[in-house]
Amino acid sequence: MSRQEHDSEKRSTWVQLAKYSQLAFVFPAATVAGWLMGAALDRWLHTTWLYLAGLILGIIAGFVELIRAALSSESK
Amino acid sequence: MPEQLWFTEILNHLFSGPVTGLLRALHIESQYPQAPVSNAVAMELLVFLFLVLLFVLVRASLSVDKPGALQHVFEGAHGFVESQSQEIIGHHSERFTPFLLTLTFFILICNLIGLIPGFESPTAVPVVPLGCAVCAFVYYQAQGFRHHGIAYLKHFMGPMWWLAIIMIPIEIISHLARMLSLTVRLYANMFAGDMVTLVFFSLIPIGVPILFLGLHIGVSLLQTYIFVLLTMVYLSGAVAEEH
Repeated sequence: MSRQEHDSEKRSTWVQLAKYSQLAFVFPAATVAGWLMGAALDRWLHTTWLYLAGLILGIIAGFVELIRAALSSESK
Repeated sequence: MPEQLWFTEILNHLFSGPVTGLLRALHIESQYPQAPVSNAVAMELLVFLFLVLLFVLVRASLSVDKPGALQHVFEGAHGFVESQSQEIIGHHSERFTPFLLTLTFFILICNLIGLIPGFESPTAVPVVPLGCAVCAFVYYQAQGFRHHGIAYLKHFMGPMWWLAIIMIPIEIISHLARMLSLTVRLYANMFAGDMVTLVFFSLIPIGVPILFLGLHIGVSLLQTYIFVLLTMVYLSGAVAEEH
């Protein structure tokens, strides 16, 4: 294996490490972001249920991101 | 009155009047009108001035025949960021290098400045990582629109048109979640690093804190790398051709 190939492989490992480190954050971050968005809409529109809709959409968004990450790693 | 670092005291002494006036003009009431500049803002300003000075020095000392040590360091950093963005974003990634390199230097210096006595890491305060994350978010969205035009909005609509009604809010939330996760990751790591160093310093003030200062340097480098690398990943998603 040439030095260039070895360096590139080492770099890819770091890239993978950084990419997968975000997985732990994706789900909770999406849930909180959805809840915050819903709560903000509740305050703006004077409703009392949008935070729940935001929370559910946030959870779905978290799952979607996780599945996307899993599929992209599988395709490689 | 909050505890102020020496640099914050100087800024508040010089600019408290104009800053309070500016905040009032924006309908923001400062909690401490005598000291409206916080430590985090003062440290950010210091990092900004330091970086401008550094870039001016590098620019002034650029030489093809006899490159100096500073030029070597900057060329190395530029090469590293460029090769990473080439690997992740692909062709034509070099146009993003100036932004990514500036972000790298800013976050790295912000993380490391807390190691010097008399200073503190501005990234250990949530608003500063949030500011960096907002910059990254706005930049990659702008690049997406620049690259695809209005067709970039298709990114938010999902693979089938009839799914758009459900995919649009999900995509908006997942993009906002990226900003939140960038913020929380950097803030939590830097805050925890500071706390661990402080706790061990108060328990055993000789020798042991050096280990944790070393750990802080490692965490600073790693968190800068992860922040910039994830910005590259988001950029690559925004400018990718296939949807």
